[in-house]
Amino acid sequence: MRITILKLLSKLVWSSKMSNRGTLWLIGIVNVLVVFALISGFRNLNQQQKTAEHYSHEVRERWESRPDKHPHRMAHYGYVAFRQRFPLSFFDFGMDSYLGNAVFLEAHRQNTANFSEASLSNGLLRFGEISAGMILQLLLPLLIFFWGFDLVAREREHGTLRILLTQGVSWQEIIIGKSLGLFYLALSIFVPSAVLGLILLFFSEYTTENPQSYFRYLLLIISYLVYFFVLAALAVFVSARAKSSKSALIQLIGVWLFFTLMLPKLSQVVGQNIFPTPSKIEFDTTVEQELIKQGDSHNPNDPHFRALKDSLLAAYKVDSTHKLPFNYAGYVMREGEKLSTETYKKHEAQLIETYQKQQNVVRLTAFLNPYVAIKNLSMALSGTDYAAYNDFQHQAEAFRYKLAQTMNELQIKYISNKVKNSADKNATISKKNWADLPDFHHQFLAFGEVCQNEILSGMSLFFWVLGLGILVKYSVKNLKAF
Amino acid sequence: MTALLIKNFLRSKGLLTGLLVLLAAGFVSLNIGKYFLEKNKEIIEKTAEYQQKSIARNVAFHPKEIGLLLYYVRFGLVNEMPNLAGLSIGQRDINPSLQSVTIRNLEEQKYTTDLQNPLYQMLGNMDFSFVLIYLFPLIIIAFCFNLISEEKEEGTWSLVLSQSANPLKMLRLKMLVRYTSVLVVLLLLLLVAKFYLVIPFDATFLAFILTSILYVSFWFSLAWLVVSFQKNSSQNALILLLSWVMLTIVLPAGINAITVTLYPVPEAFSSVLESRDGYHNKWDEPKEPTVAKFHQHYPQFSQYRHPEGKDYSWLWYYAMQQMGDDEAATNAQAFKEKLQKRNTISSIAGLFFPTIHTQLSLNALSLSDMDNYLHFIEKLEGFHEQKRLHFYPKIFTDAAVSGEDWGGFGLDYFKEKANVHWLRTLFPLLIISGLCLILAKMKFRKNQMAG
Repeated sequence: MRITILKLLSKLVWSSKMSNRGTLWLIGIVNVLVVFALISGFRNLNQQQKTAEHYSHEVRERWESRPDKHPHRMAHYGYVAFRQRFPLSFFDFGMDSYLGNAVFLEAHRQNTANFSEASLSNGLLRFGEISAGMILQLLLPLLIFFWGFDLVAREREHGTLRILLTQGVSWQEIIIGKSLGLFYLALSIFVPSAVLGLILLFFSEYTTENPQSYFRYLLLIISYLVYFFVLAALAVFVSARAKSSKSALIQLIGVWLFFTLMLPKLSQVVGQNIFPTPSKIEFDTTVEQELIKQGDSHNPNDPHFRALKDSLLAAYKVDSTHKLPFNYAGYVMREGEKLSTETYKKHEAQLIETYQKQQNVVRLTAFLNPYVAIKNLSMALSGTDYAAYNDFQHQAEAFRYKLAQTMNELQIKYISNKVKNSADKNATISKKNWADLPDFHHQFLAFGEVCQNEILSGMSLFFWVLGLGILVKYSVKNLKAF
Repeated sequence: MTALLIKNFLRSKGLLTGLLVLLAAGFVSLNIGKYFLEKNKEIIEKTAEYQQKSIARNVAFHPKEIGLLLYYVRFGLVNEMPNLAGLSIGQRDINPSLQSVTIRNLEEQKYTTDLQNPLYQMLGNMDFSFVLIYLFPLIIIAFCFNLISEEKEEGTWSLVLSQSANPLKMLRLKMLVRYTSVLVVLLLLLLVAKFYLVIPFDATFLAFILTSILYVSFWFSLAWLVVSFQKNSSQNALILLLSWVMLTIVLPAGINAITVTLYPVPEAFSSVLESRDGYHNKWDEPKEPTVAKFHQHYPQFSQYRHPEGKDYSWLWYYAMQQMGDDEAATNAQAFKEKLQKRNTISSIAGLFFPTIHTQLSLNALSLSDMDNYLHFIEKLEGFHEQKRLHFYPKIFTDAAVSGEDWGGFGLDYFKEKANVHWLRTLFPLLIISGLCLILAKMKFRKNQMAG
């Protein structure tokens, strides 16, 4: 393969397409669209961050300004955790709109994260969202196919392909050279958006707290470049194999339609069928049934906690829980919280595992479908995928547990065994204790972890490059010059 | 000539494949709809069973204090899903079709979501409305983009011109054959759906069918308009594909982005905080004002008083819970109004874009739209209130737990009937299609049939 020939061929593609007014218009329109998407995404991100920050502060203030009271009342007063957006999430909205944004954290129970954007929207959202990610993953491929369908087929129809071949240009050179030309055309849209994205990222006030955003962005750009090259090569290859340019166009549009719109939807249905998940009611009932067996920690006389009581009385050599040197009710509740959280976590882990199995069905189609590969990579790197959300839920649950147990510890330590109930004036502790509980801070997944989660998607993109390379190398014998 | 054109059409492999693709995708979508309906039915059946069991268990656990018992007992309200929703799932996979609530404060309960894999919500369902809105137009485009240009490019156009006195008539016939064939597939799918999903044939279904037919007609009118420009095949294809991308992807997403920016919903968060403080802060405040506020809300319960000197009573407890709702009420109302506004603006914008209009209309007819969800939430509020009013006097008089027929608390159902706004549903599609046809007619007249 000769570099000069590749350069020549790719330049030819570029200049012939660019001489068409329609192409320039298309490039212009799509660029405007990407700029609109990036800027409105960026504004939304900032607005949502501001709202979340505002309410997080308010939650914290209200928490700290609670008067002196019984610590268990504080455990029920609880906390509200808000999901933070990753600085890059303006680039690809991913699942963001379908994920809950606020979760109420209290003792004894795990609440759902509510108020996803989708639950606040009518059906319009389901048409998809305008983000740079969507335009680059979905619309740009359509353009690549539209520009690429006739690159070889038309030359054959006009008879110029034979001339090229007789002049000693090899099939490989034709395919790679033209793919490169097509790839450069895609760059006329991708480069401006990548640069604008970088500028926005640079000026975002949230990036400084998360320097890993730059690494993620770099990897994101590389992935998109590979994706566009794969699609360009695919378009040229189909054009070379097709009987006519019309048939190449129909094939490519069919491929686009099937891969971007139908296959993802079909694979999700298959995933749901193979790995069914329980509804909320079913899940709650299962957990509740198991918890009932463990007894009621609110009730110090509960039979299931009697064994605990007897062992404590024996250990401290006293005949009544009132004589224990610590608050017995608090002690029981600490045990209860531990048990119920363990039970909940066990079931939740099963549920998440099923979700992941379902998602893997979709993920595996990436080997057939580069669109799924780039979608998953792009979501993960932008921090808008399920792994990021799951991580938030874990952090919120860990904080909930810590809050409940901190309050239990305070009760064990400071509340006398003699008080009748939490309304007793002697049953309160100073409000200074509230501030000792650290605030909830949502941390983002580390760069390494994100990469690890998406190894499969990365591999499938690589697999596509390799596969197309092999195809180009070995199937050229079957290509026809006329 | 008609017979010849039909024969020609049926012999063309590409056209037949197109129809088969539509039929196959349609059948898959019907299956998906069926699965969705069945899953929903299963959830409701299971919940009905769980609710009975759970109430029985709680009654056995707390047989002495009705106030304590009602802290735990949950009552379910089902938002009944018509089978038509199997064709247009809409927001039904996001908003739960069943809510179970205790008589404690409602604000903390009513936004609870179901457990869902968000990946699925993002990818969306391939239901019938998807096949109709996305796939039908693409096949229509493939059928029509080279109606004249094909003959020109293959050199048969001059033959047509020389042999036929009215070439436009032949084009119309060609178009009509394609239109009829697509309509046959559409009606066949709907007919199968009627029996497969057991959809009653009523005004709602009729409106659903007519909307689908008009949507398909719109795309044929648009294609006819583009054909009237008499450009070459690839230009036609480009124009039609661009229209498709704009109408199905870019414009709806753009309108959504504008709606979200115009109407952010911070009320969602603030109502959570208000209701939390409204309830929990009362623990630390004197009991009298709380109880007084409760009496103000429910004068009929004024005779029940908090026993003086006691530091706990169920009256006080439920009064505190009530305050959680009362203090968040303004916010919750603003929240609902905001959602309503979002809904209104997108349905108005939708009137101008057949894709959006069709999707929203089909969702509305199938009761899978936001309006239905908001109505359900309203009904849930009423349902919750009714349970409160039923139990409050019993709690305040500490009525015997055994005096209540607990077995009688099954699931309740909210059954909305879809309002068919014939004019608003069908008119926008008719107008736009009509406009396309008139423009096409003018175009054809202007540049005659050129060789």
